[in-house]
Amino acid sequence: MMSAPAGSRRATHSTATVLLLLPGLFVLAGMFIVPVAQLIIDSFSDSAGAWIHYRRIAVVPVYLLVLARTLLVSAVTAALCLLLGFPVAYRLAHASPTGKSIILLCIFLSFWTNLLVRAFSWMVLLNPNGIFNQALGLIGLGDSVKLVYNTTGVLIGQTQILLPYMILPLAAVMSRVDPTLMNAARSLGASPTRAFLAVYIPLVKSGAMAGLVLVFTLSLGSFVIPALLGGPRDMFLAQLIEFNINNTLNLSFASALSTVLLAATLILYWIGNRWFQLGQVWGGR
Amino acid sequence: MRQAARNGRLALNRRRILLGGAALGGALAMPSIVRAANEEIVFATWGGSWEEAMRTAWFDPFTAKTGIKVKTISGNTYGKIEAMVKAGRTEWDVVETLPDFQWVGAEKGLLEPIDFSVVDKSLVMPGEDMVTTYSIPQVLFAEVLTYNTKLDPPPQGWTDLYDIKAFPGNRVFDGDDVQATLESAALADGVAPASLYPLDVDRALKKLETIRDQAMFFETNAQGEQFMSDGQAIMGMLPDGRAINIRNNGAPVQIQYNATIMTWSTMVIIKGAPNLTAAQKFLAYTLTPEAQAAIAMAYTYGPVVPKALDLIPPERAKILTGGPEMKGKAILRGEKWWSQNLAAATEKFNAWKLG
Repeated sequence: MMSAPAGSRRATHSTATVLLLLPGLFVLAGMFIVPVAQLIIDSFSDSAGAWIHYRRIAVVPVYLLVLARTLLVSAVTAALCLLLGFPVAYRLAHASPTGKSIILLCIFLSFWTNLLVRAFSWMVLLNPNGIFNQALGLIGLGDSVKLVYNTTGVLIGQTQILLPYMILPLAAVMSRVDPTLMNAARSLGASPTRAFLAVYIPLVKSGAMAGLVLVFTLSLGSFVIPALLGGPRDMFLAQLIEFNINNTLNLSFASALSTVLLAATLILYWIGNRWFQLGQVWGGR
Repeated sequence: MRQAARNGRLALNRRRILLGGAALGGALAMPSIVRAANEEIVFATWGGSWEEAMRTAWFDPFTAKTGIKVKTISGNTYGKIEAMVKAGRTEWDVVETLPDFQWVGAEKGLLEPIDFSVVDKSLVMPGEDMVTTYSIPQVLFAEVLTYNTKLDPPPQGWTDLYDIKAFPGNRVFDGDDVQATLESAALADGVAPASLYPLDVDRALKKLETIRDQAMFFETNAQGEQFMSDGQAIMGMLPDGRAINIRNNGAPVQIQYNATIMTWSTMVIIKGAPNLTAAQKFLAYTLTPEAQAAIAMAYTYGPVVPKALDLIPPERAKILTGGPEMKGKAILRGEKWWSQNLAAATEKFNAWKLG
């Protein structure tokens, strides 16, 4: 008697879930899964042999190096975003309504500015005759520090552009933290540092993880910033993919490079999930 | 033009990456626009100020003469052309491209043959591969050695670009023009222009290695102009129109025409073009001396039809690609060799950059 209504309620509940998911699933299947599957198939369909492109990627000492560089620079970008984004997110989450609006306005003004405009602005600011090097010159460091057309330039550009993707999820999680928990920790004798590390950090960890995953993933596909602010060594895989599409029209090789980038990302996500429980980010707790 | 091509490409691909290909898919899925037959052609262009120049020099006079309107589309990338033809939905008639596409596109079956009973190819300047079954040349452009006027004596050619003892300082290279970078290195290393192709890529890279710490590669022409204008670099290669442009704007630069690598842009008709006959007529029109002179007056690219130079005032001809200043000095790029070797050479070049 008791189990029947509960069961049917569960059934109704899951039918509703499926119905709600359907439109999204259709869009995802049509706009993402099918094209990605097509891309992977294309990468194996060369008349010279299914694995020919992958062999080239493995043998020629360019592609794996560039892949490694793409992953490394993206990881450092994500770490820098966390470092710089954490205090901003904290202020944002715990600010007065006016303070919130001002901080959000600052974030969104830069967020809404065109990517190329921001890249060219960085070139002006960071070049050897630019304002930063002039300032460094006043303390006698002007010529020794190169801020652009090298990896430093890429990291500065990438971090600035991707910072909002760290701040927003982090602030969202932080604003849900119950402030009385910190007071409780203090009243039980924890020092402010201890309360912060043992209570606050674990509570906002999921927001930080979400930010890291977002920034890292978005950074992997960049090529405007590395192309404009980087040096000869600062190639991203996306630049090589673009070259193979638009300069040599080798679409199946470009597909193979894309597949490798996708596979590397999925493997890293899987590792991250095993060691750091990235999956809980999406669970919300 | 190439600047516009590059910027267009950056924008297009950034968008494509962000949308995961949705933009392209969407564009192809759109029903083709119903057009009145023979009333217009669709011309896919690099866009920008170059498109405006073509509008006044070519499109409007052509429409006035034949009644055929010219509609333009920006974003003339190879990937889009292939996708369009493969989907059986060709919406463009004429596309301007770099010359490698006259072979790459033909090999992939993406092009319609040119009807040479309509298009008079005898007008075109002599030059290997400038006209093929599937393409005609559009205009000439070049990479030239540009140097800061404080250099005294000035550099005499590509050799000096690689001589860091005589000319200490940074050099700029067109990062998107792997061809010119490697060619300049080979020429500087003593390869005779006549035996430049097949290009010895390894030898060129060895020469580049000698100036690794002085080499700056620009991604957009605006960047290259900036490096030369503010003195971050003392010399380097720039597209000729760009070098003239900054010189006119007061930058302390001069051009050494002894070091000129010239090439051309090309026009092709896409397989299954909806307005094939009109497209052939349009191509024929662009090769008339009048049309070639008109475009050379509107933009600094040079005419591919020598007779056009007779219609251009001498002071204008002086600054044009392939004009009297470059006569006997410019090397015409071996585009056919590059169409087969660009991928492999770029792979080696990238490996060198990473090394």
